[in-house]
Amino acid sequence: MDSTLPAVAEELLKEIKKAFQETSHVPDDLLLGLKFIFGPCAVPALDLVDHRSVTRVTSPSGRTAYQVLGSSGKLYTCYSSCHFCTCPAFGFTVLQKSESLLCKHILAVYLSQAMGACQELTVSEEQLTSILLADEEDEG
Amino acid sequence: MFVSIQKILRGKCTPFPDETPLQLKKLNIRTSVAATSISNAWLRCGDGFQSTSVLEVKCWLKGVERCKLTTALAEISDYSSDNDNMGEGETVLATTTSGSSTTLQSRSGVDTGDVTARPASEWLRSAQALLRTPGKQAGKAPRAPTDSTKKRKLLRGGLAERLCRLQNRERSAISFWRHQCISDAKIPSDKSGVLIVKILEMFEECTIQIAICQQLEQSPATLSSEDAVISAGEPILKVLFARETAAHLKSRPQDVIHIYPPWQKLLLGNADVPVIMNTYFSQKVLFSEHSEMREKTYGLTKMLIRKNIISLAQTFRLNDHDDELHQESSDNQVRSIWFTHPLARSAVNDSLLEMVESQGAVGWREAQVRVVIQRVYCLPARGYRSHVEGNKLCLLVQDAYGMFSEVQLQSLSSADDIEQYCRRWEGKFCCLAGMKILQRTTRGRALGLFSLIDSLWPPVVPVKVPGQSQDSEMMTTDLPRPSFCYILTARSGEVHVEVDEEEQIANLYQPPAVHGLQQILQIDGCNERCNFWAQVLYLRLQTKHSVPINQREIWLFVTDSTLQNAVHITPKVVPVSVAASCVLSTEITESLSVASRLVFFKDALWGNGRIICVERTVLLLQKPLLYSAAGADLSELTGPVRLDELDSTTQANSICAVRGTVVGVNESTAFSWPTCDRCGNGKLELCPQDRGLLYCNQCSEVVISPVLKMQLEVFLSCPSRSQSAVKVKLLQRTISSLLTSSANEDGSYEVQSVLGKEVGLLNCYVHSVTSHPNCVALEEIVLLEAAARH
Repeated sequence: MDSTLPAVAEELLKEIKKAFQETSHVPDDLLLGLKFIFGPCAVPALDLVDHRSVTRVTSPSGRTAYQVLGSSGKLYTCYSSCHFCTCPAFGFTVLQKSESLLCKHILAVYLSQAMGACQELTVSEEQLTSILLADEEDEG
Repeated sequence: MFVSIQKILRGKCTPFPDETPLQLKKLNIRTSVAATSISNAWLRCGDGFQSTSVLEVKCWLKGVERCKLTTALAEISDYSSDNDNMGEGETVLATTTSGSSTTLQSRSGVDTGDVTARPASEWLRSAQALLRTPGKQAGKAPRAPTDSTKKRKLLRGGLAERLCRLQNRERSAISFWRHQCISDAKIPSDKSGVLIVKILEMFEECTIQIAICQQLEQSPATLSSEDAVISAGEPILKVLFARETAAHLKSRPQDVIHIYPPWQKLLLGNADVPVIMNTYFSQKVLFSEHSEMREKTYGLTKMLIRKNIISLAQTFRLNDHDDELHQESSDNQVRSIWFTHPLARSAVNDSLLEMVESQGAVGWREAQVRVVIQRVYCLPARGYRSHVEGNKLCLLVQDAYGMFSEVQLQSLSSADDIEQYCRRWEGKFCCLAGMKILQRTTRGRALGLFSLIDSLWPPVVPVKVPGQSQDSEMMTTDLPRPSFCYILTARSGEVHVEVDEEEQIANLYQPPAVHGLQQILQIDGCNERCNFWAQVLYLRLQTKHSVPINQREIWLFVTDSTLQNAVHITPKVVPVSVAASCVLSTEITESLSVASRLVFFKDALWGNGRIICVERTVLLLQKPLLYSAAGADLSELTGPVRLDELDSTTQANSICAVRGTVVGVNESTAFSWPTCDRCGNGKLELCPQDRGLLYCNQCSEVVISPVLKMQLEVFLSCPSRSQSAVKVKLLQRTISSLLTSSANEDGSYEVQSVLGKEVGLLNCYVHSVTSHPNCVALEEIVLLEAAARH
């Protein structure tokens, strides 16, 4: 059977975007919906959005990636073409245990998109490549 | 705060001191365990733990008492080994929240730098070091518990803080509700908004349990759930349960669940199965003893549920909205609909500000505010009164905190009901729900509205102070005048105003304070609202022809006993201007043009020496039920009404009485013309057949005996205003009496014959008063006669 949760999550994020565009305000029932669907990473994700921690990094060729400044001060990279984040929680909770759709950083990316809270950064191709590769080296 | 730590040693379970293991005890929602006892317990058991291969930690934080939390427990990462034994009991694990997963972090917003926290965190770290999964984490050295252990506090006023608050409120509501269900041992009786579903199939996605259900009309009463036949016509729903709710319900296919509001329903654009979420208030229905027994046995064995793995490639596209706005939505591109089912019973609020500020919150659409209706009036549709639809019925309401709001209700087809509404509604309580905010206006922008609010300030009873509990002392006179006001409107098509007509008048209500006209004329101030009861003597419509009739100003000349019987020097009659923005009912306009009536002027405006009726002024033919007289003389007029005599103080646009001697005639405007004796038509024609006869084309007949009408302006010498040349345009009857004895044989008149005749007392309207030359132009008028008394 087709999965249900992603469609619900997507719709919730779209509603947040719509509500924010219309009223510059996110109603309480949508926030509680976030909590319901995303569980414990909802509040930390919102915290990251409050602190404007999400940066969209673009290169001249149009390639994008997201960098999120975690609460510990470490910078994590999230991909835009699929759900991936370099944080350990993603590796564990999403990949290993499939207990969550996203980690708080990826959720923060979506929320920042919905509320126009992304910071923008343009870098050269080389710099973007090194951002994407650098994390791999760290993990290695 | 409730923390339970359960370890599973391949079936063996060692309970902590002060705590009984979960299998033997009913689920305890709330257990407050002293901080020290926990950490000490851990220390004591620490050795025992290190020998285990599997450590499962259950963390359940609930309750609003987080501030009292002194242990540093919040989210603990779990690093179970690969041969994870998912044996009995539930596996409920928290997730990591930051990159540094090996250290304990304190719950946000709470400062838990307590000394007792330290040993626990260090112990746990060492335990985790042993249990860490090989592979990814191997290379990582555990981070020293430096600043990264203390999570930063949530930003004040930010979304995270708000969600935290909402979450706490929700959790305490859930635990309270569950507690109530347990203690009542029966389903709460409030049936509205309850969803009854029967589970057909279940699976799990990312800890959310998804149940394909059939929605039932009502709970199958006595039959056991298996006997209930699934009828094909019942709608199918996908109900999502959070992990914790699912664990509480322990549901399996064929179970019937009651879901109480608030829950949320989502209709996805492309699927036709609605999705129900936020289903925290769910309860399983047990039908018979037989099934209860089955429950107990089921509860001990764990059910295996299929788990869907979600592909990482499935990202969320948030931009569809923009595309949809530009295109026409085709049939298969149905927009998703999302709505929150309202709370079954919401508390009635008494703060307008809270209702306004909580727009968008859960249940706000159904939340009601209880207010007092201070005034009822009609606002013109397009800024001026009109007889077509559009005049809006409005209420000026005040809440228990003294805050005002103008509520615009439905359009009235005619303003005739306004008097009815005033009598029935003013002073009563009413409940507003689901209002839409039209505007937040301030004193500088809405002078008219605020002059009305000022007339109701300060409140007559003490009002509440926001932010303090009901029991605390309430202030009254020191409150500053309101500087802003929300204008609300009932949403289209729905009237969310329930007026409690049966109930008695609210204490907060300030009835109109009525004064005599004499007192009003002495008011020192500008833009003051005033109320009075006066006799209308004469009505005059503004004569600017460029302005349509219904937008013209109406002048009413009024008097009351305070003016008529006044000892001091004061005008006997006062003009009241009724602006086009003041809505008049047809009853008023008709009765005013016919006879002299007593009219109650509610909330007229006094300023710059004039009384004007503008927006929010209401003219009523009857005195309101409640008013405060404040010593005003409201006695009826006895005897005939007297006007001021023309004198040096007479101004234009007033009425006066004149007497004098004719000193001249304005020959250029003196003429007479025949009128039809049947219909009064003044434009008679010569009969085509016989030029000697007159013909009325309105009656289509020859006029045999026409009535002669005359117009004559005379100049008078008035002893009361001897310096001025007084010109009076006379009425027919005065002209007739003046000329009766002066006719020449040929039907014309000699000026000489009228000179020196005494004229007066005439009631006149003053058209103009000029000083150079010193002239007064008057027009004789007929005052309205008192309405016939039955």
